[in-house]
Amino acid sequence: MGGSLSKMMDRIFGSREMRVLMLGLDAAGKTTILYKLRLNKDEVITTIPTVGFNVESVMFNRVKFNVWDVGGQDKIRPLWRHYYSGTQGLIFVVDSADRARIDEARQELHRIINDREMKDSLLLVFANKQDIPGCMNYKEVADALQLQKLKDRVWNVQPSTATNGAGLEDGLKWLSDNVKDTPAPGKK
Amino acid sequence: MASAPVPRPSYTRAPASENILANFGNVNGSKMNGADRRTSMSSFPTSSARSTSDMSQTSRPSARSPQPPVASDRTSNPSSNKSINTPSTGTGVSSQHSSLSQQDVPVRRYNPNAHPRKKLRSQYPRGASENHVEYILVASFDIDRGPVMEHQYPVAITGDEHMLAELMLPDQAHVRNQDWTMFFLHKDTSPEEEDEERIAKEERRRRRRRKRDREKGIIHESDDEDDEAEDDLGDDDEWDSESTDSEPEGGEGPPLIYVLNLVNTKQDKTVKRGAVVKAMAICTRHPFLHIYKPLLLLALEEYFKSPVPETLSMLYDAVNAMDLSLMPKLSLLERHLLQSSNNKDLFVEKFEQMIQLRIEEDRGGSVSDQPLDASREPARPAGIARAGTKAHLEGQSAYSVPRDTHEFETKVMYKGIPIPIKVPVAIMPETVGDFSLIKLIQTFSEPHAKSPQPFPLHPHLTTNGPNTHPIIVLANALLTQKRVIFLGYNLPSGEVAETVLAACALASGGVLRGFTRHAFPYTDLTKIDDLLKVPGFIAGVTNPTFEHHPEWWDVLCDLPSGRVKISSKIEPAPVTEGLLYFQQQNPNYAGLVSTVGLAGPVAGLGTGAPSHHSSGGTDLTGDVSFMADIQRSIALRHGERVIRAKWRDWVVKFTRVAAAFEESVYGASALHVGSDEYESNIPAGVAGHGYVWSDEASKAKELAGNVMRIEGWRNTRSYYSFIQDVAQLYQVRPLKGLDLHHMHDRLRTQKLTPAQSREIYLAFARYVHTYDEICLLLSVAPESHAGLFYLGLGLFHRDRDVRVKTLEILDRIADHEAGQHWWKSLPRFEQLAYTRIQREAAQLLRTKQEKETHSEGGNELGKTVS
Repeated sequence: MGGSLSKMMDRIFGSREMRVLMLGLDAAGKTTILYKLRLNKDEVITTIPTVGFNVESVMFNRVKFNVWDVGGQDKIRPLWRHYYSGTQGLIFVVDSADRARIDEARQELHRIINDREMKDSLLLVFANKQDIPGCMNYKEVADALQLQKLKDRVWNVQPSTATNGAGLEDGLKWLSDNVKDTPAPGKK
Repeated sequence: MASAPVPRPSYTRAPASENILANFGNVNGSKMNGADRRTSMSSFPTSSARSTSDMSQTSRPSARSPQPPVASDRTSNPSSNKSINTPSTGTGVSSQHSSLSQQDVPVRRYNPNAHPRKKLRSQYPRGASENHVEYILVASFDIDRGPVMEHQYPVAITGDEHMLAELMLPDQAHVRNQDWTMFFLHKDTSPEEEDEERIAKEERRRRRRRKRDREKGIIHESDDEDDEAEDDLGDDDEWDSESTDSEPEGGEGPPLIYVLNLVNTKQDKTVKRGAVVKAMAICTRHPFLHIYKPLLLLALEEYFKSPVPETLSMLYDAVNAMDLSLMPKLSLLERHLLQSSNNKDLFVEKFEQMIQLRIEEDRGGSVSDQPLDASREPARPAGIARAGTKAHLEGQSAYSVPRDTHEFETKVMYKGIPIPIKVPVAIMPETVGDFSLIKLIQTFSEPHAKSPQPFPLHPHLTTNGPNTHPIIVLANALLTQKRVIFLGYNLPSGEVAETVLAACALASGGVLRGFTRHAFPYTDLTKIDDLLKVPGFIAGVTNPTFEHHPEWWDVLCDLPSGRVKISSKIEPAPVTEGLLYFQQQNPNYAGLVSTVGLAGPVAGLGTGAPSHHSSGGTDLTGDVSFMADIQRSIALRHGERVIRAKWRDWVVKFTRVAAAFEESVYGASALHVGSDEYESNIPAGVAGHGYVWSDEASKAKELAGNVMRIEGWRNTRSYYSFIQDVAQLYQVRPLKGLDLHHMHDRLRTQKLTPAQSREIYLAFARYVHTYDEICLLLSVAPESHAGLFYLGLGLFHRDRDVRVKTLEILDRIADHEAGQHWWKSLPRFEQLAYTRIQREAAQLLRTKQEKETHSEGGNELGKTVS
């Protein structure tokens, strides 16, 4: 319908769309990452717990990322699955300083990517809160999440500090470099 | 009583629904008393698991409409027609002239038909056991656990607390400081409880009947035993009696509990993660839940300061102390008249009577035993003044009648502050909360007007082809029980909820039921599994994820863009017998039926029928011009009430067209209850019923345009409950067997010969007498259809007796409590004609009386002689 023309323009100018789902335990920093990417990079982002979800579009590298950020409290985690269909990239955010809950994070991550609807999705892990002293580095996070065990999965762990924006754009760049060049199936 | 053998769809509870109930706690079995008694609630209807296939298995009414007993001939009723009872002497002057003698009497005569015979009652009497508000709830968003319930007052609602808390904290509450939501709770009653209720109700009804009979002098043999029990019948029973007498309740189970919820997000640097999110909700059985908004605002603010149960109890006590006892109870017909009228004085007499009764009560105390006789002449006591008027402000009276009789004005005292509250006096079924049909229509009309996007065809929905108006698609979707979602991403959830409620009212028109009961004004992903078990839900959401799941819905209405979408996964419409019969019976019009998108080929007539030409230029259903008229009305700022009245007309018309369709295709319809016997007694010229077309061809065309959506409607909840309502309403309806609507429509829309119109005018004058009968006549001649204009044209009829009879019926209307307002807006030229005919009649009477004096004198002379 009306969208076909703009899709053609997209092809000419090479811009693409990518549907990204951002999940993680509560207080991992998902909403801060989202708004740090969305808003002025120098702005100080203060967030409060997400009731439900946030969704924003972020332009980067000529890719329009439609990023869904879904609340992480354990009781509402069963809702995550409703966001899977059409997702091309999963951003899983980990609080690198929260050693007590890294096991819980691993369980949740594996539950997500084992879902049939997520089988073609890229996996980007933000090892967030790198500014906190004594936190795990990105290798420790990858080990703790047992990413080596994953088969047929394109994944990457990106150290980040959401509050100052460090590492965030590198993460998006990795996503845009690795996304398959197919038109976004999520849009209907 | 030959009540209608209405087939109730057998709502078998599939195993799935038991899971839902199980989620919501222990429902059946243990019964507790007093404060311990907890009610079990679920946000989903108990019967939610019934599938459409369950419903389709139920048998359709096979015979012709049920035919309750026939009312006795009106004219033999002593109170009905004065002209018959007035002895007319054999002077050759027909009886109607003698009835005109009343016109001569200068004093305003007592008219028993000007006011209802029933005792006037309060909608919410003093001392009634039912509370305005049943529960107050507080929930908050816990940063570790998500939504949690903090307090419930006076007792906890059993069932899933977590589910309630989730509903109270809508998606994205964190991005706005304040948001409203609404949701409904279904009380789960066990079958045993339902049985008990039903038995108790029947018992009350039986006693009432006996009481009435006794008043009429009919003695029952077993009366003695029952006497004591009857004496115990208190006021409660009396209040109850009217509601059961006058209108059906829809019979869909216990009433819903409506929940109005306010959520606040307060940024607070001192707490962990920087914010506190709390919500407070009021649970009530009143559909006008919006009146509590100012109170919730104050109380939630208070709760942030002192988060203790006492804050809840203070609100609970305040709202339950609200006095609505001076709000009169109106009958269904009266409510309908008030709803569709803009007159601010309509039924003001009832408010005055309520006040008068209260003043008498206050004075004497013992007067209350004496039922207020509504039929006596209402005299306005000196103390009663219009609220807000000078007289009221200066006077010392504690009571006042409302400025506008559509709203009852009262107040709630909260922490010593009087909060003014306006309660709607007349509420039609399926009207919940404070919504705007105009807003709903505009939201989905403007983008369509600017750049229409063609719909994929679905025979139930796109009744005017790919460019069917989105609002018509929505209305069709609701009528044919599709799953409808309203999506308002980035909008306050309160706005989404109001749109859902508006959509329910749109499809209901105050006529059809079953929409609000399956509506979820606000819901979210947490309820999706339960939601999908409800066939034909109407849900409001703010999460755009719903759009990505076309398998969840049939029609999605996106509020921000104002676009309506038909799902790519919608089930195709089945080929039905009704369609095939119609096409066989009307081969000339078969090609007009839009069959693109049917589940199978249409046998015989072939799918190659040029259906696109049907949906193209011609407006078979009349919906194109209807929507144009609606838009015009909105542009001219006619107001919400007018738009609602027009939609009501649309729904009424749809049901009448459906009745005509069923009668023509199936040979019978339960959508119309009539009586052949009665009809055979009345003049053939007024014996017809149902929708009126100017000729057979236009009827066939309109039916062709409606076949598919009627067939789609014929298996839905609203269809079955409408059949029940029609049968039940027939029991209480005045003038059984005579279709006033049909008669008035003929005057309005058909070209009639003088002989034809004569029959109609004479029938109006002959049959319409009592208070309720006149109400019924007024309801088919609303302001929006030029009021009494068409009736008034009878004053210009060729035949003099028709003119005089029209004068009579207009007289009766002018005396009527509601009719007086209709009478006042009669066009000037008709009023002049009225005065002229009245003068003529009086003149005639004088001559006649002179003659009579002569002849009587002669008679007496004769007697003395003999």
